[in-house]
Amino acid sequence: MVGLFNTLDLAKRSLQTQETAIQVTGQNIANVNTTGYSRQTVNITESPDVQTPVGSEGTGTEVAGIDQVVSDLLNSQIQSQNSTSGYWTGQQTALQSAQNGLDEFLNGSGATTGTSSSSASTTDSGLSGQLSALFNAFSALAASPSLSTEQAAVAAGQSVTSSFNQISSQLGSLKSTLNSSLTQNVASANKLLSQIAGLNQQISSTEAGGGTANSLLDQREQDLENLSQLVNISTSTDSSGNLDVSISGQMLVAGRTQLDSLQTYDPGNGNLLVQTATGGADLTLTGGQMQGTIDARDGTLATMQSNLDTLASNLASSVNSIYSAGYNSSGATGGNFFNGTDASDLSVSQSLANDPSTFQLSASATATGDNSVAVNLSNLASTTQSGLNSQTFGNYYGSIVANLGNGLSNANTEVTNQSAVGEMLSQQRSSVSGVSLDEELTNMMTFQQAYEASAQVVTTVNTLMGDTLAMKTS
Amino acid sequence: MRIATNSYSDSMLNQFNTLAAQQYTLQNQVSTGLSVQAPSDDPTAMQNTLSDIEQQAAQTQYSANISTLQTRATSVDSVLQSLQTVVSQAGEIATSAGSATNSQSDLNNYADQVNTLINQVVNDANTKDPSTGQYLFGGTASGSAPFSTTTDANGNVTAVTYNGNSTVNQTPIGAGLTTTADIPGVNSGSNGARGLITDSQSGADLLNHLIQLRDDLNSGDTTAITNTDSANIQKDQNNVAYQVANNGITQNQLTNASTFASSSNTNLTQMISNSSSANLMNVMVELNQAQTAYQAALESSAKIMQTSLVNYLS
Repeated sequence: MVGLFNTLDLAKRSLQTQETAIQVTGQNIANVNTTGYSRQTVNITESPDVQTPVGSEGTGTEVAGIDQVVSDLLNSQIQSQNSTSGYWTGQQTALQSAQNGLDEFLNGSGATTGTSSSSASTTDSGLSGQLSALFNAFSALAASPSLSTEQAAVAAGQSVTSSFNQISSQLGSLKSTLNSSLTQNVASANKLLSQIAGLNQQISSTEAGGGTANSLLDQREQDLENLSQLVNISTSTDSSGNLDVSISGQMLVAGRTQLDSLQTYDPGNGNLLVQTATGGADLTLTGGQMQGTIDARDGTLATMQSNLDTLASNLASSVNSIYSAGYNSSGATGGNFFNGTDASDLSVSQSLANDPSTFQLSASATATGDNSVAVNLSNLASTTQSGLNSQTFGNYYGSIVANLGNGLSNANTEVTNQSAVGEMLSQQRSSVSGVSLDEELTNMMTFQQAYEASAQVVTTVNTLMGDTLAMKTS
Repeated sequence: MRIATNSYSDSMLNQFNTLAAQQYTLQNQVSTGLSVQAPSDDPTAMQNTLSDIEQQAAQTQYSANISTLQTRATSVDSVLQSLQTVVSQAGEIATSAGSATNSQSDLNNYADQVNTLINQVVNDANTKDPSTGQYLFGGTASGSAPFSTTTDANGNVTAVTYNGNSTVNQTPIGAGLTTTADIPGVNSGSNGARGLITDSQSGADLLNHLIQLRDDLNSGDTTAITNTDSANIQKDQNNVAYQVANNGITQNQLTNASTFASSSNTNLTQMISNSSSANLMNVMVELNQAQTAYQAALESSAKIMQTSLVNYLS
């Protein structure tokens, strides 16, 4: 009888083990679509043998644990890739907005037949077209000086200045948008840091009690990945298994404690940067969306703004130096065509705008029909400027456009590449940690069969015990 | 390799996105005819295209300037034709009047003819450009009529004053290239464009020479007519002939410049097209490929996504 009881006990343990296994399979199936879920496996081991005079006797099976299938290497690769991907996404977003603000696109009138199609033209509002229109208006004024051509030249000047002003203001508002997006990113990062510290605490409490905190670990991994998208982080595990998070060498989460948080600060030029909130340590970030935003703002966009200012100031000084030496029909001289010194404040002289007939067209006070000033102004179109790296105004502006184009094109390529790398890593991780329904269903059948067989053992033992009891009574 | 169930849907979604983006880009190229629209599409091509478009706009402006100058040169030419008739008539009068057989009355008749010629010259020399309303022969001081006259009691011109100057406006007709169709009425200096009526380099002084001829006719001084006036008129004839030839050269130059501007324009159009236009044949082929791939991805995923082991368990 003792042997039968032992067998019954063994069958019971087997039933419990298979039940747990089926429960884990059910958990996996239920989370097949859950983002960040890592599949779980049940770790089934033999239960300890019992020594009997005839040798060691098996006691069946037991669940040693429910494990998560994760690859720490892939997780850390994904975090690092997220930082790179976030960096380029930050750049892409900023530069895309700048490209829209510049409004320099080509228009096409649609394809016809043959191997090539109709010719391109620039958008009317782009500065390139406006600049060339200004010099052509000076040329037209030289060809037939009259009030109408003077008006046209002044109007062309106003279009150029309003394009400059508009682009400058677009870049200014883009800068503040990028600053506020940086501030938002910092707030999101702080929230994630505090969540990670909280999860560290829950995980260590759970595990201290001998349990496994699989779902909490999944959540923490998700938080780490979201955080690495925003800013490059480094993580380490301390001696008691707690996860520490550092940003640019500053430890912000040490196990259960959040040591510090992030904040933005103005270094004095209005371009916000990031530092630790309590410690006040300025952080030199090297990746993530925050640094992408900062680099686009302080790199490509700042260069673009300063080049535009250089272009505007050179245009104003070159045009004015010719124009101010001219005489208008009343013999007056010395007035400027442009006022202002940079892209934001460039304007056509108010008195000239009010009365284009005062255009200082003549090189001589007495020769009122002279057009030399207009000829010289129109020649500026093809004159290289020492202040513009020995380029003409048009070419210099072209290089501003191309610089921005290069920056954005590079960011677009990197985003595409990083997205391909990200997909690859995520497929690899999915191959390790993702749930396969086919696999789970197969497992379920395996456990179901084992459960049924164990139940059969119980039934058999029951029958045997009944037989034994019947033997005594008969 | 172990394939998780969601690997299918994730990778399909990525493929759909990639193929849809490809189709979007290609379709956009077909509908606009452009492979480059934004600076980021191809920064170098964009830079070249902007420069080419700028050059093209400049060439178009040069063409407009040339056309303005051509109109002006034609106006100048018709004045020159008229002056050529005048100097030819004046030459004939000087030759005929020098003959000893003429009576004073004949000479007076010649003098009347010369008066008419003087008025015609003054009139011609004060011609305005019909398109801009500027005086053609006043140099750059074009505010008032270039030639004003002093007349005697009979209304005959006794003296002529030039109100203009000897410089002429240049007009851009090409990169760094300017020209002019204008002729100053008077150039008393030793350089610059030769004057139409008075020119110290050639010795021409048409109006004063005509006035002198008329006065000599009225006074019956046939010696002066033969010895001085004929020779003077000859200088004026030569000067007008020079101006006619010069105008012809200018018109030729304008025609050449116009041809150059229009062929530059055509070349630039080609260059713009080369850098920014889509090659439709290639784009259409690529679009077909992308569409085929997209359909294949849709069909295969629709089949795969439907089945799993669940379908076969009962």
